[in-house]
Parts: sequence; C-alpha cells; structure tokens
Amino acid sequence: MMNRRFAFDTAKLIVATVIGLVVVFPLYYIFAGAFYKIGEFTAYPPTLFPDSFQLGNFIRALRDTLLIRFMGNSLLVASVGSVLRMTIAVLCAFPMAFLRFKGKNLLFFLVLGTMMLPSDALIIENYLTISRLGLVDTYFAIISIYLLAPVQMFMLRQAFKTIPQTYREAAAIDGCGDFRFLTLIVLPMAKPIVLTLTLQSFVTIWNTYLWPLLVTNDPAMRTVQVGITMLGFAESLDYGPTFAAIALILLPSLSIFLIFRKKIVEGIAAGAIVG
Amino acid sequence: MPGRIRLRQALKPYAYFIPALLVAYLFSYRPFLKTLANSVSLVNYSGRILEFVGLENYRGLFADKNFQTSLINTFRFTALFVPIDVVFCLVCALLVYRKRRFNALNETLFILPMAVAMTSAAIAFRALFNPTIGVINHLLGIQIQWFNDPAWAMTTIVVLSVWMALGFDFLLLLAALRSVPRQLVESAQLEGAGRGSIFLRIQLPLISPTLLFIVTTRIRDGMLLSGPVLVMTEGGPFRSTQTLIYQMYIEGFKSGNYSMGSAISVVVFVLTFTMILLAFRIERKGVFYQ
Repeated sequence: MMNRRFAFDTAKLIVATVIGLVVVFPLYYIFAGAFYKIGEFTAYPPTLFPDSFQLGNFIRALRDTLLIRFMGNSLLVASVGSVLRMTIAVLCAFPMAFLRFKGKNLLFFLVLGTMMLPSDALIIENYLTISRLGLVDTYFAIISIYLLAPVQMFMLRQAFKTIPQTYREAAAIDGCGDFRFLTLIVLPMAKPIVLTLTLQSFVTIWNTYLWPLLVTNDPAMRTVQVGITMLGFAESLDYGPTFAAIALILLPSLSIFLIFRKKIVEGIAAGAIVG
Repeated sequence: MPGRIRLRQALKPYAYFIPALLVAYLFSYRPFLKTLANSVSLVNYSGRILEFVGLENYRGLFADKNFQTSLINTFRFTALFVPIDVVFCLVCALLVYRKRRFNALNETLFILPMAVAMTSAAIAFRALFNPTIGVINHLLGIQIQWFNDPAWAMTTIVVLSVWMALGFDFLLLLAALRSVPRQLVESAQLEGAGRGSIFLRIQLPLISPTLLFIVTTRIRDGMLLSGPVLVMTEGGPFRSTQTLIYQMYIEGFKSGNYSMGSAISVVVFVLTFTMILLAFRIERKGVFYQ
C-alpha cells in the first residue's frame, strides 16, 4: 500500500516536472535566443544553446530602437494609471461601505454595470472620443479607458465592510471628518488589499496592447507592448535583437513577479472569491 | 445657515462618485450608446452619423462571407481554447496541490508565464512555430506549415492563449483544491473510495464555483480575442484566424467603415452577454457551494 502510494507520487512528480519544463521552455528560448547570432537562428537543426554569450543583440536593441523610451512610457503610464485607478475605486468603495444615503444601490450598479461593457468592443467610439478631444499621442489617452475598475471597487468595498462602523463613530466624536477618516484610518487598515489591487492594475495597464496601439502614432509615445512588435529590424529571420529586447523587458517583470509572488497569488485567490 | 450645512452634508456622499461616474459616462456608457446608434446608421469617415438605416448594416453583415468567417473562427477558437485550458490547468493543479517536496518548484514553473506580456509571448511563439527554423517542428519531428496552413494556424493561437492563461487559472484551481477539507477526503479514503471517485464525488463538486468562474471569464476572453491574432497571424492565412474583434478593428480603422465596425461590436456585446447569462443558468443547476 505504502509502496504503491510512493510510486504514484513519484509518477505525479515526474509528469509535473516534464510539464513544468515544457511550460518554461519558451521563456528559456527567449533568453537563449537573445544571445544567438543570425546564423544560429537559421541553423538546422535548430540551436538550443547559444554558441557564446555575445552581447551584440543587446547593443543593437538598445542602440537602434527606442526600447528605453518605450519602457519609460510603460512605466509612467502603468504607475500613474494604477494609482489613479485605485484612487477612483477607493473613492467609490468608501461611501458604499460607510455612508448612508439615497440612491446608493443605483450608483453602485452604475459603476459595477460597466463590467458588462468590455472595453475591447468599445474601441472604435473610444478612439473617436480621444481623437475629437485632441488627445491622440498623449499619456492620458493610454490610461483613459483603464481609469475605472468595477471589480476592484467591489473588492475594496467588501474589504472596507470588515472595518467596524464604531471606528467611524469614534473618529467623528474626535472631530475627524469622513475624508480624513478614509485617509488616516481606513486606508492604512486595508493596506494589504489596496497594495495587491494596485499591483494588479499596474500589470493590467503594463500588458495592454490593442488600445495603446490605436491611440499612439508617434513612435516616441509607444508603450513597450506596442513598440516591441514594431522594432523594425529588416531581416525577418534575425530574431536576435528582438529577443534581446524581449529579454530586457522580461527581466524587470520577472523579478517583480518573483518578489511579489505571494501578493499576486493572494490577489488572484481573493479575485476568485468575488467571481 | 444650518440648512446650507445640512445640504452640504447630504450631498457629500455623492461627491465621492464624481470621478467614477465621469469615467463611466465618457468611456463606457456613452460609447456603448453611440456604438448602438452607429450600428443602425450610416456613419462618415470622421465618425458622424449621416442617416438612420435601420437594420441595413446587420443585414449586410450577416450576408457577408467575411463576417461569417470571423464568427465561425471566434467560436472555433473558444471551443478549442476553453476546454483545453480548463483540463490542462486542472491536471497541473491536481499534480502539485499536495504540499510535497519539489511541488513548490513545479508550482513556480507553472505560473512563470504570467510574467510575460502577450506581445512578447506572441513573438517568441512565432519563432518557435516557424515551419522551417522553428524548434517545435524539429523537436516533435513534424513538418507542419503552421502559419501557411489554414487548418493549423488557429492551433498556434490556441497554444499561445493556453500558455498565457495557465498561470492564472492554475493558481485559482490550486487554491480551490487546497480549500477542500482534508477530513472529507481522508474519511472517503478510509471507506475505501478510489482516487477517481474522490475526485468526481468530492473535489470536483467543491471546486465547481471556481471552474464556473474560469469557464465564464475564458469564454468572454475567447469572444474578445484579438491581440495574439494581430501580432502572430494578422488573421491569416486565408482569414483562417480572423476573429470578430480583429475584423472590427480592420473595418473600423483600416477601412474607416464605422457602421460595420459598430455592428460587429454589438454582435460581440450580445454574444458575451448571452454566454455569461448561460453560465449563470448552469450555475443555478450544477454548481455546488460549500
């Protein structure tokens, strides 16, 4: 009995490891390819390990493209965007959880209802709005459609609701107004969930592709996701510099991912409960 | 004076909603209503409505071979992607959900793709699937013309999509499997239940809410697929990977045909909405909550 169980566990481990290696292979290939010379890409049989760790591709990626600029754009848009997005969500979640007023449910459903209107299907009209306002090629245009996060507002409301009402009454007696109560007491108490959701927003905006593709024409305004598809290396089979560029983008996101792994995992588990 | 203060107090809660409502109006409700209006009108190049044409755009759309292709491809993608994704992620979660040595390592391997953005992944997979120099054909010892053969191009999009969805869906299922009470599984084992029946009778019902969540969100993603198509195949070959949102993008921005583009949007809205409603009906019948 014990032996059979051991055999079963070992078999499971082997299968899991094989799947794991297959899953990680594309990532490995990106980093290996970043060091390939053009001949190694076109070689047959395909190269699986670089001949040398030459940095030519990285130099070409950094010198011949606006990669650094793209990364700066993405960083700016994702950080400012995620903070604005969280601010708007917190402002909605707070009165939903603590204040009593007429029309609360209506307002709640007006905000939550935007969930039913996927932004991918609204891009034509949203593009027209942005272009009529003369906002094409601006950072605001890129973050505009990500400013509202109904699901996150909902999750914040649930988190705020776990804070006892008596705190607010006590704060009011001490002469603390609602807004100060929110910034001084509620936000610090809900810090873990606020951080997790901000991180999620950051990733969402960092990864978005179709919308920034539409609202940016000027190469200097492109985000990383758009820019990486338009690096314009003439030889179509010369993947080297492109892979080097991808590797350079991946380094920060992989490290952030590994550092904040626990937070990200928690956030996902919390999201599942809402769903 | 006290009256004015009371009024200000009464209005305060609403002030918190101003930014959200502004954004909701500008970038959700208004464009939605305008998309509806565009879809029943003739719209010029700058997006102005010229005249009301009733259901003419929809009639044109459904008679259009091109649109039928997009519709079929979108369903074909969803029908392949969602089941493969769910089964694959469930298998991965079942393999490592028990906390054992090395399982944590494999867990990390499974979720690493989450750190890769879609465009980077799409470029890498385009190289991997390259028919002549790609690693996939070589390692599997096959000669498939992935991007030139209409029968196979969609497979590349499905593989890429499953790879990108793996981290997230795997983590959800892992959390769900780990929240199944141990005593339930152990007492079933004592009564002599096999692994299969424990999975079918205990674990599967208890993780069904998570499964439903994954299926619903992934169906929605399937209906909205465009990014990987844009980067990897540009709808080809012979329109075999052209999806609804991709066609909407082409109609709207390459051909300047906003009426058609808007009509496709409305079809997408109806489809996603129907799918979600359907999921909720299934939920009432088949999903078991603890």
